[in-house]
Amino acid sequence: MSLADVQITLVPNALIAHVTGEVDMSNAEDVGATVIRATPNEAQGVVLDLSGVDYLDSAGIYVIYGMRASLQARGQALILVIPPVSPVYDSLRLAGAERPGEVAEEVGDALAIFDSAPPPGT
Amino acid sequence: MADTRAETQRPRNLGSGQVVLLPAEPIAEPTEDRPSSYRFTDPGLSELPIDALLEELLNRIQEALEVDTVAILLHDTESKQLVARAAKGLEEEVERGVRIPLGRGFAGRIAAERVPIFIADVDHADVLNPILREKRIASLLGVPLIVEGELIGVLHVGSLQAREFGQADLAVLQMAAARAGPAIEHARLSAALQHEHDVSMLLQRSLLPKRLADMVGVKVATRYLPAREEVGGDWYDVFELPRGQVGVVIGDVVGHGISAAALMGRLRTALHSYAIEGHGPGRTLELVDRFVQSLSESAMATAAYAVFDTYTSALHYATAGHLPPVVISGGEARVLEVTPAPPLGAFPYGRCPEHELSLESGEILLLYTDGLVERRGVPLSTGIEALAKAVRDATTPEDACASAIADLVPVVGLNDDVAIVSLQSAIVPNELHLTLPAEPRTLSHVRRVLRRWLNERGADDGDIAEMTIAVSEACANAIEHAYAPSPATFELHGWANNGNITVTVRDDGHWRPPRGHNRGRGLSIIVAAMDDVQIDRTADGTEVVMRRHITGK
Repeated sequence: MSLADVQITLVPNALIAHVTGEVDMSNAEDVGATVIRATPNEAQGVVLDLSGVDYLDSAGIYVIYGMRASLQARGQALILVIPPVSPVYDSLRLAGAERPGEVAEEVGDALAIFDSAPPPGT
Repeated sequence: MADTRAETQRPRNLGSGQVVLLPAEPIAEPTEDRPSSYRFTDPGLSELPIDALLEELLNRIQEALEVDTVAILLHDTESKQLVARAAKGLEEEVERGVRIPLGRGFAGRIAAERVPIFIADVDHADVLNPILREKRIASLLGVPLIVEGELIGVLHVGSLQAREFGQADLAVLQMAAARAGPAIEHARLSAALQHEHDVSMLLQRSLLPKRLADMVGVKVATRYLPAREEVGGDWYDVFELPRGQVGVVIGDVVGHGISAAALMGRLRTALHSYAIEGHGPGRTLELVDRFVQSLSESAMATAAYAVFDTYTSALHYATAGHLPPVVISGGEARVLEVTPAPPLGAFPYGRCPEHELSLESGEILLLYTDGLVERRGVPLSTGIEALAKAVRDATTPEDACASAIADLVPVVGLNDDVAIVSLQSAIVPNELHLTLPAEPRTLSHVRRVLRRWLNERGADDGDIAEMTIAVSEACANAIEHAYAPSPATFELHGWANNGNITVTVRDDGHWRPPRGHNRGRGLSIIVAAMDDVQIDRTADGTEVVMRRHITGK
């Protein structure tokens, strides 16, 4: 049984990465790298859906910061989907890092942020 | 066999030195000069395995006809050739794997025309097999081997001295052929059946789990006993599911042999796949039913599937035409209630109602197939009661399997195969004392043990979530400290006292100051999640002591 799974969906402006399972020091870097590798250059950014994550530790939080930095270097944004009552929110709260970037409560809200932004190149 | 032809055929010369003989009258009685003729009908011969039987027949033919060589070639229907199978005085024929095309040469014509053929002078006859010439055989007599109208081969004898083979000789050879034919055919069929049995068994075995993964929170034991003769379609599986759940399934495919074994492999894969999608036992069985319905061949199977939650001890189960599971607890064994549901593949849109119970620490779930409890002339309920009685004192899953087999499986073996899976809700100790490998993959193992232990200590979901992350972070620190080249370990201890939980994580590495955001954040989590945290760093290692008061459920 693998600890976590990443399901990638490409939509016109962005990539949605739906993560499920547990993310800790054993797999956090792989999860992050999987999402970054899958992100096309023309996407405005990534919606990292953490609503299905059962456990996230400090190594996972660190990887989220790392993902944001590498996306920013490519001019792309990272929007996190974290419901206010969720294991991921608990971890971020305990770590004193409630908002490690732009946060939406649902995937739809996150996509709306991209849709309202002008498409790249204009 | 050939005696109906006697009236219609006359001896005729085939040319090429071959003469077709009239089939001989069957020998009614042993004659003075050939007392050994009867020995071909010796009933003791049929007791022999095929190779010994052929060897014995060849010996007796050689003796009865006073010939130098005897050979049996068998008809290979695929290649339409005769293949040397056994020989006396012509062993090279078998060793070299001589093959004669049907219709050609001496043996080929006997086979194609299904007639006895006599060759007085091999040197001047159409003989294909070079070994017959090399051996300097002078005269030959051969007869076809025919069983139930099918040509199965040729039996021939040879003499180094030129000689006549007459009707009396032919009668003896025909009698031997009549004996050898069915014996060879029987041996061929049973070899083919044995082959299918072996293949089915191999397939069946290969489709059962080789070894079960070591799983946190449960102990598991399994048994598979094949039936005496046929290979059945009994199967089982045990697998991990997300969030500390364990799936355990047993099933029985209707039918036997390779097709049953192949279907069970497909069912096992289908069920595991649906289970991993997160469906409960009832829905999973319903989906497997739809899978079976969609197969082109008609198929039917029964199954019982249960999901055990190692965090909460909840057990959900459902059955499809399968016998009810048994739960063993404190010297008692009870048969679980099941809502009857049709077997998989039986009716369109079959429903599998789900049941729930709590499988408390130490209790054992037993799943089994009908071969264990079904006996001719005995009601099924009697067999299930006997099973419950047999296993009620079991304290481990191994015990349960062993007791069930000892009491219910007859010494002479089984008519039907048997599978048993036994799963115990692991006994959770009051105190945790663990020595763990300092590897990142240990963390998920620690969390599973801890969640279950904290649940048993009465912690609520919030307590469990926050303490689990704190302890996991402390363990991650210990793993980072372990940079010794040799396999390193760390220790975890946990105990409860007056509503206070204390967990210590101790390693023998040197404390490293938090690096960057990452480890600093780990320490923040530990401090935020626990009421009291002490970190003792010494030359011998680092110990993190964490305490938290639990509000309880």
